[in-house]
Amino acid sequence: MSRYGAFQIGGGGVAAVLLLFPIILPEIKIHLAIEILIFALLAVSFNLLLGYGGMLAFGHAAPFGVGAYAAALSCNHLPGMPLLVTLLIAALSGFVGALFIGFFCVRLKGAYFALITLAFQMFLFAAALKWRSVTRGDDGMGVVRPELYLPGLGSISLMNIHNLYYLTLVLVVVGIVACYLFLRTPLGNAVMCMRENDVRASFLGYDVFLTKLTVFSFAGLLAGLAGGLFVLFQEFVATTAIDVNRSFAALLMTVIGGTGHFLGPVLGAIFYTVFQDWISSLTKHWILFVGILFVIVVMYLEGGLISLLKWERIRVWVSGQKE
Amino acid sequence: MVILKLDDLFKDFSGLEVLFGVSLEIIEGECHAIIGPNGAGKSTLFNIITGIYKPTRGRIFFLDKDITSWPAHKIARMGLSRSFQIINNFPRMTVFENVRNAIVSRFQRRFDWTSFLNRSKEITRESDHMVNLLGLTEVRNIPASELSYGMQRKLELALTLARDPVLILLDEPTAGLNAEETRIFVELIKQVTEGKTLVMVEHDMEVVFNLADRITVLNYGEVLATGTPNEIRENEGVKKAYLGRR
Repeated sequence: MSRYGAFQIGGGGVAAVLLLFPIILPEIKIHLAIEILIFALLAVSFNLLLGYGGMLAFGHAAPFGVGAYAAALSCNHLPGMPLLVTLLIAALSGFVGALFIGFFCVRLKGAYFALITLAFQMFLFAAALKWRSVTRGDDGMGVVRPELYLPGLGSISLMNIHNLYYLTLVLVVVGIVACYLFLRTPLGNAVMCMRENDVRASFLGYDVFLTKLTVFSFAGLLAGLAGGLFVLFQEFVATTAIDVNRSFAALLMTVIGGTGHFLGPVLGAIFYTVFQDWISSLTKHWILFVGILFVIVVMYLEGGLISLLKWERIRVWVSGQKE
Repeated sequence: MVILKLDDLFKDFSGLEVLFGVSLEIIEGECHAIIGPNGAGKSTLFNIITGIYKPTRGRIFFLDKDITSWPAHKIARMGLSRSFQIINNFPRMTVFENVRNAIVSRFQRRFDWTSFLNRSKEITRESDHMVNLLGLTEVRNIPASELSYGMQRKLELALTLARDPVLILLDEPTAGLNAEETRIFVELIKQVTEGKTLVMVEHDMEVVFNLADRITVLNYGEVLATGTPNEIRENEGVKKAYLGRR
């Protein structure tokens, strides 16, 4: 079996499973699957910065939360707004938010960059908490899922969890594929130059500031979309959408899954969400176990969980012998 | 034609004065070496020309444009390319990818997000041409960080040349190479920079006298002398600075 053939079979299998999930899984698990999809998009956008741009952003909840609040506000205050436009607003809000934050941050490097992005996220968190007339503070805002109108299909109710699952699946896959294709363009390559050696890149004519700002904003766009989907899924938004735990969840998922592979963060999101779901049903101190897991991965599994799935390992495992 | 003109450059680092009024003209097609004892200000001069530092006073003209205080990437886009004394490449990318980064920049495709990089035939062709020209064919698909030191020096040269620059600044291109490697490397530099304008900082006098058409001697931030290799060899001031003779 060739490598390419294996990928085709594997990809087809994954696609089939994703499409059949609502049929084979009980409803409560579909909720979990939707959550995984949303966090997979968030983690992939985070890894665009960390794994490809070499930018450790501690405040990735900022564009996520901005997208979430934008979606909630537009649902509540602009009745009749088509759902897809609402999600577009969420994504664009994430983009604009990241553009603004990035303008001040991307000139910095390492710990300074990380901490200033965190500072901006904390600032937005404080705004969400205190600006009660708009955000209702920590009480949060309820959101009624609008109906999805598709030409030719008419209105589709998203109160049916299966429909919501498929909508989320399509948008998340579009986002992740866009990310993948972006990385294959010359601009995506320029982003990797930033990670490898931004000083050298500037002497080759690359505008470091503009390149980093672009990828930071693009990651914000995807995070904003994830935030919009999250509100749609939860039918609720509160400060938890933009708090520091959200930022670190994105970081933990990405690092646990593996930053060195494009699908590492997806695996991380699956593992983190399922693990959290399982362990939090056993103990309320689940975050402790997530922390232990993180330490183990960082210390003993440098490439993250995805490195366990390397083609060489699978081949050895399947054929039962080493070359 | 004068390509690069330095006009009375001063630089001090919060009180530590490194350059005192350096003026210099680089003429098209020449190979101009800048030499001088340690601490003479050679590297600072390079860093000011290429936009790492801003001069405290004085102006820099490149192709008749005032580029003083321009950011590095804009100066690079004008066609001024520099190499580095230390290894300075993209470590986890292969040799080919390293060179390709420079070629993408040459074709002004740095911000292109509408096409796939590996589908661009001209970029691939030009990158491979450069890899072959510098004798890096065998290590084409090896990450830069895994190359031997000598190969990394070649890659450094490839990155500098790949953008087809108007003016090439080489900062100690043979630093760290042994005598034999240096000899081969000098031949390579001669071959690949033929007809181009070159400014180099170099400590190895054999390299300097082998390559340079003109030499400028810096000492304590001032130009001591400028002239052909023979003139410099005979210059009393230079002898004094280098050998301490009276």
